[in-house]
Amino acid sequence: MNSQQQSSRIDYGLMLILFMLFVVSCVAIYSAQTTGQYGTNFVIRQVVWYVVGIGIITLFIRFDSDQFHGMSWYLYGIGIFLLVFLIIAPSSIAPTINGAKSWYRFPGIGQIQPSEFFKIFLVLTLSRIMVNHHLKNPIKTIQSDLLLLVKLGATTGVPLLLIMQQPDLGTSLVLISILLGMIFVSGITWKILLPLFGSASALIALIFYMVLWHPAILEKYLGVKQYQFGRIYSWLDPYNYESSTGFHLTRSLLAIGSGQTMGKGFGYREVYLPESHTDFIFSIIGEEYGFIGASIVVSLFFVLIYHITKLSLTTKVPYYSYMCAGVIAMITFHAFQNIGMTIGLLPITGIPLPFISYGGSSLMGNMLALALVFSITYNERHYMFSSDQS
Amino acid sequence: MNKKKKTHVPFRMNMLFFVVFLLFSALIFRLGIVQIVQGEDYQRKIERTEDVTVNTSVPRGKIYDRDGEIVVDNVPQNAITYTRSSSPDTEEMMQTAEKLAQLIEKETDQVTERDMKDFWIGKNEEKAKAKVTAAEWTAYENDELLEEDIYDLQLERITEGDLKGLSAAELEVLAIYREFTSGYAQTPQIVKNENVTDVEYAVVSENLSSLPGVNTTTDWERSYSYDNTLKTVLGNISSSKEGLPKEMVDYYLAHDYSRNDRVGKSYLEYQYENVLRGQKTKMKNITDKSGNVLDSEIITEGQRGKDLVLTIDMDLQTALEQIIEEELKKAKSGYHPFLDRAFVTMMDPNTGEVLAMAGKKYEVVDGKAEIFDFALGNMTTSYAMGSAVKGATVLTGYMTGVNEPGEYMVDEPLKFAGTNPKSSWFNRGGAFGISDTYALMRSSNVYMFKTAMKIGGASYVPNRSLDIDIDAFTTMRNYFSQFGLGVKTGIDLPGEQAGYKGIIDETEPGKLLDFAIGQFDTYTPLQLAQYVSTIANGGYRMQPRLVKEIREPISETNKIGPIAKEIEPTVLNTLDLEPGWIERVQEGFRLVAQASEGTASSYFGNAPYKMAAKTGTAEGVYDGPLKEPNKHEMTWNVTLVGYAPYDNPEVAMAVVVPWAYEDSSSSIPINHYIGRRAMDKYFELKEQKVNEKPTEAVIDQDIVTKTETTKLENE
Repeated sequence: MNSQQQSSRIDYGLMLILFMLFVVSCVAIYSAQTTGQYGTNFVIRQVVWYVVGIGIITLFIRFDSDQFHGMSWYLYGIGIFLLVFLIIAPSSIAPTINGAKSWYRFPGIGQIQPSEFFKIFLVLTLSRIMVNHHLKNPIKTIQSDLLLLVKLGATTGVPLLLIMQQPDLGTSLVLISILLGMIFVSGITWKILLPLFGSASALIALIFYMVLWHPAILEKYLGVKQYQFGRIYSWLDPYNYESSTGFHLTRSLLAIGSGQTMGKGFGYREVYLPESHTDFIFSIIGEEYGFIGASIVVSLFFVLIYHITKLSLTTKVPYYSYMCAGVIAMITFHAFQNIGMTIGLLPITGIPLPFISYGGSSLMGNMLALALVFSITYNERHYMFSSDQS
Repeated sequence: MNKKKKTHVPFRMNMLFFVVFLLFSALIFRLGIVQIVQGEDYQRKIERTEDVTVNTSVPRGKIYDRDGEIVVDNVPQNAITYTRSSSPDTEEMMQTAEKLAQLIEKETDQVTERDMKDFWIGKNEEKAKAKVTAAEWTAYENDELLEEDIYDLQLERITEGDLKGLSAAELEVLAIYREFTSGYAQTPQIVKNENVTDVEYAVVSENLSSLPGVNTTTDWERSYSYDNTLKTVLGNISSSKEGLPKEMVDYYLAHDYSRNDRVGKSYLEYQYENVLRGQKTKMKNITDKSGNVLDSEIITEGQRGKDLVLTIDMDLQTALEQIIEEELKKAKSGYHPFLDRAFVTMMDPNTGEVLAMAGKKYEVVDGKAEIFDFALGNMTTSYAMGSAVKGATVLTGYMTGVNEPGEYMVDEPLKFAGTNPKSSWFNRGGAFGISDTYALMRSSNVYMFKTAMKIGGASYVPNRSLDIDIDAFTTMRNYFSQFGLGVKTGIDLPGEQAGYKGIIDETEPGKLLDFAIGQFDTYTPLQLAQYVSTIANGGYRMQPRLVKEIREPISETNKIGPIAKEIEPTVLNTLDLEPGWIERVQEGFRLVAQASEGTASSYFGNAPYKMAAKTGTAEGVYDGPLKEPNKHEMTWNVTLVGYAPYDNPEVAMAVVVPWAYEDSSSSIPINHYIGRRAMDKYFELKEQKVNEKPTEAVIDQDIVTKTETTKLENE
């Protein structure tokens, strides 16, 4: 009876999706490392990271919404501390890798990227702010909505600045998309949201216009570096920058495109692509399994999002709903940006494909996010059961 | 309240989900475009770029002389090559270099200081780190210094002592490693091709499996059967290290060469580059995902370059060079300080085929007299040729219509106001009528002067100043150029000179008279040979050429392949003559060699062959290599042109010996010595060849003719 009850609290649907992502990840990484760019066997490491991830899930699944609600500011504080300490830490602990100071190095374990975890802490904290705000302001006014907006913005702004200075454009964009996603479901009136999103779009359009036609102004007044323009130029015209910034995109397009509808099959890749086990893992999938395989992977993410959306709609706890929105925004942005950049839909930024790209920190962050989602089913039943009792 | 709050969340969540749906749809849509719509294009692109076609070089064509004797051959040379993958793993390359260094000896003289510094940093990471101060490292961490800056600092601070710390073995590894990194990815790069011992070759071949990218092959080196004979004319090719000559890189690259290809740098090797180069083997490299070569597949089999058959007879060439050398040495034993060179060119006057083109130069190097090959001087240096050109003057007289063939003119010393009298050698005082043939036989200057004056519209009045139309220079030069004098002969070699034209000064119209006796403009020995050929063959200026045929390459040694192309004689221009004109000059030339009064008869009168000739001496200010201290010294050039047999010429010859002596008292007939011996040699060799049975490599015997090959192919 007890075991029956215990098992019914596990979200088997979500587990199945996670298992499928795990399989895709292992197959793709195995295939990627046949180029022999590095001597390490990343599949084994990825399996280890998945095991650690399951451990994180079993740990966090026990916390219910109240507990998350309670610990959110502490986690936020720890996260901020880690980000600040990164700046002042000596390079023996926090080395500069590829020009960014984003990692802590632990002998024996490897490198940990605190910003990957901070994304989840931010989701928890923003959810708490929203729940508390709605409790304190039962009647919504423009003023209260604006106040909420400021709170949310300020809470996100602090870590955003810390991460941007690392510099890590990818993760900064993830934080922004989490914020936007959560603002969207926060209940803030359309009267504010429409102009807000409208002006954001206008700003992006303006930036593009400036990059393309007046880069000198950005360079002079905003201190934007030349290589950052390069990303945009090479995205729009990769073949002109094939030997430099456009290299990854042209190779990736070549790999995915030549996969055609059916793909070339496991191990039959022809295009050499450096770093394909991390950020460009989707190119491997596209080349080996073609349009069908690539669509299945995209659908897998879609099913995952659908599952989380469904959970957020069935749950009666507002905290969970907000949390779900944050997780959805995060995963969607990751998946869309990563896949989009491999097929030339978006400029290239260093964002891994969640659950599939090799990388410990990124996987830990995502597993933590799923732990939150798992905990909904795990605790909701319990909660519902007790509420029925009363 | 709870209810109210609940209302917005599901709606907003659904909207969020809808946005997600749109985004993912965009991904699928874009995937469809890339993979389904454009998929085939990408696949085609892969087939184009991922399987790299590699050209491997083939041996150059050989060069034979006109009798089929090999002049330039290829000697196979063991070579060790390295093929870098398109995504090189530097660590593995270094390991391979270390392994290879234990197996072979490699010269380290190509290693630069910068190479050593880079290598040192790679080997001594800790020490290199210590070269940068703590303050600079802090600056680096604060992004004030870039990685390149740090590296530059390290490079700067490596002392010679540090570099001395590199052991000989390490330097060898470095020397090999730098060969690995030079050249192009996926194209074999020669690591060592000189003095590869059989042991090295065998050991490397055995260990190929543990030396990724390394291979053992055969490279080619040019070998010259006749050592230095004609070497300057044959030209050079670049080494595989030099590759394409810098100034012509673009040209060669556009013609499908690769940068480390060996090409003809000079003269024949350069001129016939596209014949000699051959067709490269085209291989398709099948690469794995990281660009490592797995297998190579031959697309088109290469073919060694086509062979050249020269018009040169190497036996004659060698003999002539010998004669020149001996005569030069003999003459130098007397006091002739300026004499340092002599030339002989022999041509078939009917076809323009150059039978021999010999030149030697005497030079004192480090106090030791040495004689060098200077065959090129025949076309790159020019001299005043003296009376040898009088045949052209006589014919110019006819062609301009100022003289009639057989017309008599008075030979007498010409006295012009303010100058010394100008007269012929044989007649310093008297006055008597002479014909054109007589004028040639005795080398009358006055006959030529008067001809030139008529062309210039002047008539001779003793003790009056000369009044000549300056345009006559142009007229006479035009006619001379129809014989090849003063214009390029068109020989199939680059870098030919046309000679120097004397500067026309309106106050010195008398220079036209000098021009008429070959003492004003300078001509190359080759021009002189073309000129005498034109007279010998009855008025056709033939293009001189060194290549007779181009032959298809075949693999058997001792045999020459079928003819690929026969080079036809080219008539550059024909003299506008009336019947009987040129015969007057030919008769005059015959008299020179055969009549007792002829200027060359004492040397050729008793020759078994019937010779026609014209001698020349030109007096002038010395302008040779010892010029500086001897600017005002007078010297004499001696020349000789001729052909034989006089009635059916088969060989024409030009002998030029510049700066032979200083004044008429020290004169030596070195032009005659050389000329007589050279002609004798020609006929001696001719007779020998008629008597001798053809040797093993002779063309007539072993070659497969073109029709036969086509027949075989068709079968």
